[in-house]
Amino acid sequence: MTVRFAEKELKELIQEASQGEKYPLAKLISELEKPDSFEFRKVLFKELENSGFNGDKSVTIGFTGTPGAGKSSLLGEISTNFLQNVPDKKMAVVAIDPSSHISGGSLLGDRTRLSLPVREKRIFFRSQPSQLELGGLNPYTYHVIRLLRCFFDFIFVETVGIGQNEIEVSKLADLSFLVMVPLGGDQIQFMKSGIMEVPDAFILNKCDEENLARASYHTLSTTLEFLRDIVPGGSIPPIFLTSVKTKKGIQELLDFVLKSKPHPKRSSETKVQIEKWIKTEYGNFGLSFSEKLGNNTQKNYEEWENFFNSEIRSKLK
Amino acid sequence: MEKKDHILYDKTGNPSKEPAWIFRTYAGHTNAKESNELFRKNLAKGQTGLSIAFDLPTQCGYSSDHAIAKPEIGKVGVPINTLEDFRILFDQIPIEEMNTSMTINGTSMWLLSLYVALAEERGEDVSKLQGTTQNDIIKEYLARGTYIFPPEHSIRIIVDMYEYCLKRIPKWNPSNICSYHLQEAGATPVQELAFALATGMAILDAVKERNCFTHEEFEQCVGRISFFVNAGIRFIEEMCKMRAFSDMWEEITKGIYQVKSEKFRRFRYGVQVNSLGLTEEQPENNAWRILIEALGVTLSRDARCRALQLPAWNEALSLPRPWDQQWSLRLQQVLAYETDLLEYPDLFEGSRVVESKVKDLVENANKEIQKIKEMGGAIKAIENGYMKAQLVKSQAERLAKINNDELIIVGKNKWKDGIPSPLTNDPDGGIFKVDPKSAEQTLKVLSDVKARRDAKKVAETLARLEDDAKNGKNLMFASVECAKALVTTGEWADTLRKIFGEYRPSTGVEGQKLNLESDKVSNVRTKVEKFQKATGARPKIVVGKPGLDGHSNGAEMIAVSAKHAGFDVIYSGIRLTPEEIVQSAVEENANVIGVSILSGSHVELAEQIFAELKHYKADIPVVFGGIIPQPDFEKLHSIGVKAIFTPKDYDLMDVMDRIIDIVSEKIPASV
Repeated sequence: MTVRFAEKELKELIQEASQGEKYPLAKLISELEKPDSFEFRKVLFKELENSGFNGDKSVTIGFTGTPGAGKSSLLGEISTNFLQNVPDKKMAVVAIDPSSHISGGSLLGDRTRLSLPVREKRIFFRSQPSQLELGGLNPYTYHVIRLLRCFFDFIFVETVGIGQNEIEVSKLADLSFLVMVPLGGDQIQFMKSGIMEVPDAFILNKCDEENLARASYHTLSTTLEFLRDIVPGGSIPPIFLTSVKTKKGIQELLDFVLKSKPHPKRSSETKVQIEKWIKTEYGNFGLSFSEKLGNNTQKNYEEWENFFNSEIRSKLK
Repeated sequence: MEKKDHILYDKTGNPSKEPAWIFRTYAGHTNAKESNELFRKNLAKGQTGLSIAFDLPTQCGYSSDHAIAKPEIGKVGVPINTLEDFRILFDQIPIEEMNTSMTINGTSMWLLSLYVALAEERGEDVSKLQGTTQNDIIKEYLARGTYIFPPEHSIRIIVDMYEYCLKRIPKWNPSNICSYHLQEAGATPVQELAFALATGMAILDAVKERNCFTHEEFEQCVGRISFFVNAGIRFIEEMCKMRAFSDMWEEITKGIYQVKSEKFRRFRYGVQVNSLGLTEEQPENNAWRILIEALGVTLSRDARCRALQLPAWNEALSLPRPWDQQWSLRLQQVLAYETDLLEYPDLFEGSRVVESKVKDLVENANKEIQKIKEMGGAIKAIENGYMKAQLVKSQAERLAKINNDELIIVGKNKWKDGIPSPLTNDPDGGIFKVDPKSAEQTLKVLSDVKARRDAKKVAETLARLEDDAKNGKNLMFASVECAKALVTTGEWADTLRKIFGEYRPSTGVEGQKLNLESDKVSNVRTKVEKFQKATGARPKIVVGKPGLDGHSNGAEMIAVSAKHAGFDVIYSGIRLTPEEIVQSAVEENANVIGVSILSGSHVELAEQIFAELKHYKADIPVVFGGIIPQPDFEKLHSIGVKAIFTPKDYDLMDVMDRIIDIVSEKIPASV
């Protein structure tokens, strides 16, 4: 029913997208964002693999935190710095904003705080509405990221919200940050809710004022000390103090990102995402089949999806 | 002799009559030469003061030869690049005798410097200069968009001007708190009171913090603060608003700032009556609206404005012609000189109704001010987006009321049928158009000046400006030197941009909703659902506001309405280039681009947008909205614009309905 691309056209789109052409890439993303994209995904990711694009070397970075923590402005600053100082790499940003519960529509405002150069092929920015999905991620975010990984060295994913669900982004990120503001007062609450265990690193943003920044840093690092009890022998995640206004800490943060490596086993990520999909589609009933995920890591996402679909549906008859 | 309540007596006890307020027309267009002729004609017609409109590049700190300036040169005001333009603009006008108001904000220090340099060059006594630079940067962040630097630096520039003016040009008003645009952006009277007074306090606090004045000098500074207010159609409420302003300013200056002199506590204000309520439909009705609005600020002696400027009846159509401005000036003259308006003491003193209404406004405005204070003052309430969001909310409510017919606008949503106005039958269509070739003259003056000025002196004065900006020195002195060295507007602003940075404020639309549930809404939502079913995705619109025109109300309302209808909306605020807007639409794979333009540059911008779409080989439909005259429709359609919306298309869901139809045209027939 939806418009698909003919084989030749798809090949062209992939070629052009790999050369940094924005419109072909945007069209591919739009197809992935459609609810019945299964067949398209199968063809697309097969074709990408055949063309030598697997995205294994790409790093995905999650940025999450409460609204107003300044995530977009910080990302804007990082992008500017990246474009100036990392000439041989490419980056993409996916920014997810909430949808309206009344009309289903959304206002995607994150471009407001990013002043991106025009016609620059080394950066690509895409907004996504959350589609009322709990967890901050859009149901298709994962597939969009799989695609972007094929063409970009770094994928930044920005999500709003800070609860058990919203930290979801860490499941598909190689590196996830929790962005906070000085003296947010939430630190203890985070610890209680167990969120502090999830991020790989913390950012105290809006550290425009030195004393306040230091005070908050100490509060946070003391709070994080407790993590030692939970993960004995574990090291405490790093904390970055940043300010868009004074440009403080931006370079350090970017250096840290540039040094990070992609997850060695993408198959474990696929497993997590397929379980998430099974749960959404078939609930706990479906999850009982997921033990069949076993150790077979050869299958790609679509093959797994196909396998479980037929497996579970046959039991439903 | 027994004194009578209905007679106005002067200080010596003799019956007297109030002098009339200052009559102005907000004017300036094309280039310095044409504007000079216009000013001289207006003064000859009985206008008693000048109110200069500058074009958008001048307001935003760009010289006319900057790429972003090109489509806007001379459109909504006069372009000023160097001192040479001021020499031409004020040719044969005795500036030492004038009371000159300049509607200029981000570059107000620069324009004042040019004015001072011109006076010094003519050998005039600079201390005699009288007038006002608007210089209310806060409302620029909220409603009008011609800001340049971040708030803290903008405030610093304002304080520099106070310091300079107090000692050198004591009769100049370095800033003028302008709540006019707040009402245009949807502010209620309470919001207008609260936001304007909070702004006044922010400036006074900054002046106090500089600690450069004795208390007596500080009192004089307070005395130099004037206000520029909007008068809307609910004229009784507007009159009460003016009385509330006076009462509250008295309370603030006396209570918080300990101003002893009564003279310096007086609430002094000028007015431009409302343009927001003027309609494109049956535009002749606007003449009555303007008259009624003028009454709100002149009827009551205790709350009468000091200067008045009236819009023209056809401002919702496009730029007014000189005749239209003359007609507005004549209205003021009839009111002041033919009627007995100026012969009486205050008519409303002792009115229980008026007193109670004023009390109510004061109470509610004080509550709002308290809220802003608790946030840390007006600057903070800008930075955290609070004030902007409140205005967008009020505007959305107002429009929803018009759409629901709760708010009657004659000729628009009621009594719509009528005979076409003979006033628009002239061959010029009843509107004024700037000659597109006139910009050449401005550019020629600029390039001549650049060729013959002393380059070394330019570099030296700019270096001094940069140093002074870094070292926290008062920037007025270096700016006047720059003016004399024939530095350009763009060079002045760029030097400071380098030090202070440029600002991008919150758009205020996030989290907004529209209180509109009607058959039309469900009809549009049904079409949106159909689109979603057919294509698998929601329709996506990029709402763009290109160029230097910062009047973003229209764009904001379309953004909020589109979300209400079920679109995914990308809106990134004002002052984007056509390249940036198209890039957003391409990266997001948007189904439609909606562009809002009020400055008259729609044709140039349409050409640029379509050129950029061609670059990306993107076939995204484009619709335009704004003050776009009918004769330009054909041109826009020929460039490729799919639909054009004007102020006549006030029904938000009618607009969305047409947009969803355009978007749906691209659904393949096989579906």
